[in-house]
Amino acid sequence: MEVVGSVIGGSIGKIFLRQRSGERIELGDLLVCEEGDSLVIMQVYDLEYGSQIPDGNIEMIAGLRLEGYGERSDLTLMDPALRHYVIAHVKAVLRVEGGVPKTPKSLPNFLSSLRRIKPEDLSFLTKPANPIYVGDLRSGSKVFKFPIYLDGPEVLTHHVIIPATTGRGKSNLVKVMLWSLMDQDNFGVLVLDSHDEYYGRHGKGLKDHPNAEDRLVYYTSAKPPPGGYNLIVNVESIKPYHFDGIVEFTEAQSDAIYLYHNEFEEKWIENILKGEKLEDESKIKPVTIAVTQRRLEHILGIRHTTEKGFEYYTNVFSIDKGGSTVNDIVDALENGKIVILDTSRIPDAAELLIGAIIVSEVFRRYQNYKYTGELEDKPVISIVIEEAPRVIGADVLARGDNIYGTVAREGRKFKVGLMAVTQLTTVIPSTILANMNTKIILGNEMAAERQAIINFAPQDLSEDSQTIASLDKGEAIISSNFTKFAIPVKIPLFEEYIKDKTSKNSNANITYF
Amino acid sequence: MYKFAHIADCHLGANREPELRRLEIEAFKKTIDECILNGVDFIIISGDIFHSNLPDMWVVNEAVRKMREAVVKGIPIYVVYGSHDYSPTETSIIDVLESAGLVKRIGAGEIKDGRLILKFTVDSKTGAKLTGISARKLGIEQEYYKILNRGILEDEGGFKIFVFHTMIAELKPVDLAKTDSIPLSYLPAGFHYYAGGHPHKTIVKKLEDYPFIVYPGPIFAKDSKDFEEAAKGVRRGFYIVNFDTQVRGIEFVEVRVCDYYFKEYDATGRTPSQVMSDLTEELEKADLNNKIVLLKINGELASGKTSDVDFTAIRRMIMEKGALHVRINRYGLTSKEYTSIKVKGGDVREIEEKIFEENIHRLKLSNPRLTSAEGVKLAVNLLKVLRDPPKMNESKEDYLNRIRSHALKVLEIPEE
Repeated sequence: MEVVGSVIGGSIGKIFLRQRSGERIELGDLLVCEEGDSLVIMQVYDLEYGSQIPDGNIEMIAGLRLEGYGERSDLTLMDPALRHYVIAHVKAVLRVEGGVPKTPKSLPNFLSSLRRIKPEDLSFLTKPANPIYVGDLRSGSKVFKFPIYLDGPEVLTHHVIIPATTGRGKSNLVKVMLWSLMDQDNFGVLVLDSHDEYYGRHGKGLKDHPNAEDRLVYYTSAKPPPGGYNLIVNVESIKPYHFDGIVEFTEAQSDAIYLYHNEFEEKWIENILKGEKLEDESKIKPVTIAVTQRRLEHILGIRHTTEKGFEYYTNVFSIDKGGSTVNDIVDALENGKIVILDTSRIPDAAELLIGAIIVSEVFRRYQNYKYTGELEDKPVISIVIEEAPRVIGADVLARGDNIYGTVAREGRKFKVGLMAVTQLTTVIPSTILANMNTKIILGNEMAAERQAIINFAPQDLSEDSQTIASLDKGEAIISSNFTKFAIPVKIPLFEEYIKDKTSKNSNANITYF
Repeated sequence: MYKFAHIADCHLGANREPELRRLEIEAFKKTIDECILNGVDFIIISGDIFHSNLPDMWVVNEAVRKMREAVVKGIPIYVVYGSHDYSPTETSIIDVLESAGLVKRIGAGEIKDGRLILKFTVDSKTGAKLTGISARKLGIEQEYYKILNRGILEDEGGFKIFVFHTMIAELKPVDLAKTDSIPLSYLPAGFHYYAGGHPHKTIVKKLEDYPFIVYPGPIFAKDSKDFEEAAKGVRRGFYIVNFDTQVRGIEFVEVRVCDYYFKEYDATGRTPSQVMSDLTEELEKADLNNKIVLLKINGELASGKTSDVDFTAIRRMIMEKGALHVRINRYGLTSKEYTSIKVKGGDVREIEEKIFEENIHRLKLSNPRLTSAEGVKLAVNLLKVLRDPPKMNESKEDYLNRIRSHALKVLEIPEE
């Protein structure tokens, strides 16, 4: 056994060990203490110096060296390896008895030796039937060729949150995860891609997956590549409640909207935009209708004039096209496809509204399937939403609930989950954070954000603030109700990861006549 | 300035009833007559001229005679296969018409290095360049679009028309949401006119790089849905397109060969006799002479069975009032005694068996064996016998005798 240190004291959750000279223990390192048939897996969360020489003497030695004595004057310490060392603060994260992982409830033996972890120590981390690949096992900054998989159905239905500051690899992680989901057909994933970075329009992306033709559907408001769809949603797909928590209307405007909906049914928006009057004009003030009309024009990017008819500014909402877009997208999700909506060129409110329309329909159908007993045969559907506080932020939800909030709270029962990507965890209400049962934590410099994540982590990460702060780009900690402990991983760079996995031309056997 | 006619979805041979067959072919003749009368330079039929790849010869004969009139007058007819008049295994009537020089099938091409290279057919009089993709089984058709070399087609100069028989996803109305479709991005951009077929709707849309995407819809009707839409006032016909280097205007030409009477009736809370009385009263007042009559009955009866409503008598009454044809749609009619049930099964037989299992106990029969599992088995077997279609060249009498004999065997009743 290659010993790296020895247990020298501490208590449950705060064990001290002395680092062996010549070894370099890092924050986040996984170490193992062997006890007969059992292993105790420990993780380093802090490091400090230790010395057998009193502090005053150490200061004197430093002074002698700095002032021209010491090395330059043959001043040496006796047995430096024995007298000076590093003390690592570790916590026991798992006890493995006969290959079965258990929560550690006792301390490792005093003065027991520790070694570095080996992949075989984690043989209980098997590949689930419907896996999501998230990266390779990492111990400190050492990466093992040991892929870490999450159980797809469990993890996705119980929601995932990916918190990190800019540039830490959030999108790369989501791309890697989606790539592995594309190997299977029992997941539907809706990606609201506000930066058009998942499909790979201008580089590598999910379009390069060998199953992309069958499993990937791409909608965009820009000119789509061959096979991609124009993102056009007919306004008849919009119900008044789709605006809840997405766009704020005054009470009077809201009344106007519902009155128009009652009278004109699916043609309510068309009639507001055209300035048609209600049968009973006294129900709403003309000024309210005018303001509501202007607000809808602005949100939907559609304007109507008698001379020119309907004119479109964003080309995303339409009066006469895109009648089946919502149905088509939800059908694709139900058929276990990954649907990317490139919303990079459309305003925030329009993006969130389209998302709300689709997610509402997914939720409605799945609620119904539960009622009819068909839900079991349906794939899990996950909704990837970037900058999640836009829809599940405390301030947003304070103005009124929306479908994303509903999914966060109730989606689990209907096999619908959120994958929320965010820079700010602090602004997401605790009721929602507590429901996010998997947290894939990337590096974060902001202490308050780290604390918010730690407070709601499924495992005890109370001592890991520093470890999270020190995570490099692509390094992550997976804390989940569905993992035995908070697993440190290294997420491969997407472009590197897919190098030998991309699609091949399969048109060789087609004949034309 | 030149003109062409854009027709689609004639579905000749779709209707079996003589009066509808007559109207169907009349609509086609009227369409071609209008084309000749309007002096079009050529005609495009974007799929489904016929309802099957080998239709009834009477229908073919009538259609060929009419098409020949146009061809003799120097009006070529360009076509693609539709989803109905194409067969992957047998010769299609379209091939026969092409061999006879009556129509020109467009969309010739070849696959080179995994890409489909389509050739243009140039109309000799107008110089218009036509190409397109016929309907196949949807999977194959999509593969063609996937490997289509769009660049070559887009780079071609001149006035270009792309003919196809496929629904475009972005243009699907909500009631056609379940129709198979392809994304617009599969069509080559920059053509002057996209002559579509397949959806039985009139659709004209303009999108960036796709100035005219047009589906004329059917010229008559092939099924109850078509008849219902026509009866509700949806116009049927085709387009005449004026062009030189650009499309200068398109005009819808209505083809009307009959009048319709449509009545939707909600039977909710009514008894079968009340339904009869309501409908009789309504129909007696109506002018049904020389009309196709469509009745749509929905709702849940307050009592009795749906079969207690004497639809045969209603049908007789309508015909006696001079109707050309009557269609009664009662799929939406239910009764409390037979509320709808949902069952799941791996195949039709399994589903039918489960439906019988769910419903059989509701029957009040003197023989308890008939409402037991044995009854279910008997019902399934009887249904199987009754479903058996006539054999090739089997006379009606022989067919009836055969079915009767098999049914009696299933029921264990001696033939004597």
